[in-house]
Amino acid sequence: MPPLKKCFHIKGRDFIHAGQAAITVQKLLRQMGIAQSLIRRIAICGYEGEMNVVMHGGDGLFCVEIDADRISLEISDDGPGIEDIARAMERGFSTALEEYQEMGFGAGMGLPNMENHSDELHIESAPGKGTTVRMLFHSPETGDSQED
Amino acid sequence: MPSAYVQFEEKYCTGCTKCVRACPTKSIRIRNQRAVLLEHLCIGCGECIRVCPEGAISPVMSRRGLEKTDKITVAIVSPILYAQFPGVMPCDVLMSLNHMGFDHAIDLSYYLEMYQYAVERFIEQNRERKETPWPLISPICPVVKRLIALKHPGLLDHILPLKRPVALVESGIRREISEQYAVSEDDVLLYHLTPCPSKVTYGDTDDPEDRSGLNPAIGVNDIFPRLLEEVEATREMDLNLYPYRHLSFIPNARGPLWAMSGGEIAGMNIDRALAVSGLQEVKKYIEKIEMGLFQDTEYIEFRACPEGCIGGPLTAVDKYLARSTVQKLIKMFGLGRRIQPRKLRRLYDRGWFFSQTKPSDYREEIEDKSRSLTIEDMRRIEYILSQTPGHDCAACGAPDCRTFAEDVVRGYARLTDCYKFALDQCRDSNKFSDKTSE
Repeated sequence: MPPLKKCFHIKGRDFIHAGQAAITVQKLLRQMGIAQSLIRRIAICGYEGEMNVVMHGGDGLFCVEIDADRISLEISDDGPGIEDIARAMERGFSTALEEYQEMGFGAGMGLPNMENHSDELHIESAPGKGTTVRMLFHSPETGDSQED
Repeated sequence: MPSAYVQFEEKYCTGCTKCVRACPTKSIRIRNQRAVLLEHLCIGCGECIRVCPEGAISPVMSRRGLEKTDKITVAIVSPILYAQFPGVMPCDVLMSLNHMGFDHAIDLSYYLEMYQYAVERFIEQNRERKETPWPLISPICPVVKRLIALKHPGLLDHILPLKRPVALVESGIRREISEQYAVSEDDVLLYHLTPCPSKVTYGDTDDPEDRSGLNPAIGVNDIFPRLLEEVEATREMDLNLYPYRHLSFIPNARGPLWAMSGGEIAGMNIDRALAVSGLQEVKKYIEKIEMGLFQDTEYIEFRACPEGCIGGPLTAVDKYLARSTVQKLIKMFGLGRRIQPRKLRRLYDRGWFFSQTKPSDYREEIEDKSRSLTIEDMRRIEYILSQTPGHDCAACGAPDCRTFAEDVVRGYARLTDCYKFALDQCRDSNKFSDKTSE
């Protein structure tokens, strides 16, 4: 059976609706009885990814794929792209505009957080070509997973 | 376990769907043109009570009011009560309760101060500990606790494990009163006067084991008309002649301050604290916490009601009027503290402030027991949703098209409850009958 796929548009610079896709996915997973701790990890990764698009990317697409043995998030945008991916993965490294940093965003923790909370993280990006971030989460326990 | 927090009176309900749309947890449907509650999803917030144009919805509570009894009747007074009487001193309000028939009145504000001390101490002790789940969430608002248990159980351990002030009161007051009036503890009858429909069902114990001895609660709006008469009479009296022994603690302005959103944290010495009120805002913030935000905030005061408890569904006067009353009281009394930290520290170290309730207990109280949906279910929901009109008209009895689709998949609604599917079926059968007639 093909996995369940759902996509959401992300609008660059739209801080009012930023996070909506992650929240919707969070609700979806909860209805499916996915373990709380996994939902939390996916929510954190989704939110960070979504914020990256809102801050740097132009417009983007936020897709979630739910399969029996894994959940994947794919967040892509047609923004400026990442010059040096290794550098971008460093904690605290940020290219966010100063005004965003003043708003409390762009602390350079986005990608490191996503790496911490996902089982696999793949980034495809080149300057001028946009960015695609793919995250994998293994073996979601569905059904009555009781976790506090 | 209470079966429900609110009740619907069928003869008044017109099936207008206002409550269906207002419910934050989507726990109401219209069936046979009457509102029906899905009890396992209700968090007792009272939004439906507010929006019902027919007054068909009321909190499940002891409607008996103040009984005539030989027992010692004690009013545990939420400071919201003072905010209902502009220009009246809190003491006069308490005195009026006495004239109304309560033998004794207990003002909560001293307990609020004690609670605030305990929060400060807890945060001070845990500030450096990495495993503390920041931000800590205020345990005061019962609706917020149930919302978290129902929708975000992963955040339950963020709720501060301290007893609420009302629970602090209950822990020793029966004995104190029984000694003062020389009666047995069984002859002390506690009443909560509260603006909160959600406390009404429970009395107010924090101990999940101890729901047997629920104390009756009376809505502030229920007691208001009678109390107003007494308040007017009391103000004519010379209070110097009146004995104060019927009161425990003299109220100050810290109690009423607590009634407003932000009042809980305003009285505490915590740097990084936030106050959020109104259910829609609260929901948004809790979702953000789930996404890992606000970890550098130490304490969040959530209140489900707009403007805080003065905006509770069971209040008598408008919340903005009440707020102005509170602000005047603060101007008059100031916000001095009465507690003695050294004494309280001993109590704190003995564990007196700590709640026996564990996060898992909240889940016993309320938990989303709906069956988990499978990937196949989700696919069906998406398909049905794509076929609905999609403008969330609620005519089917569900709050929105998505919930309707979920209900169909869960077997709780028929496709033809939606006018579009019904219309399609109609057309199809017409076609069929046209053909047969040919």
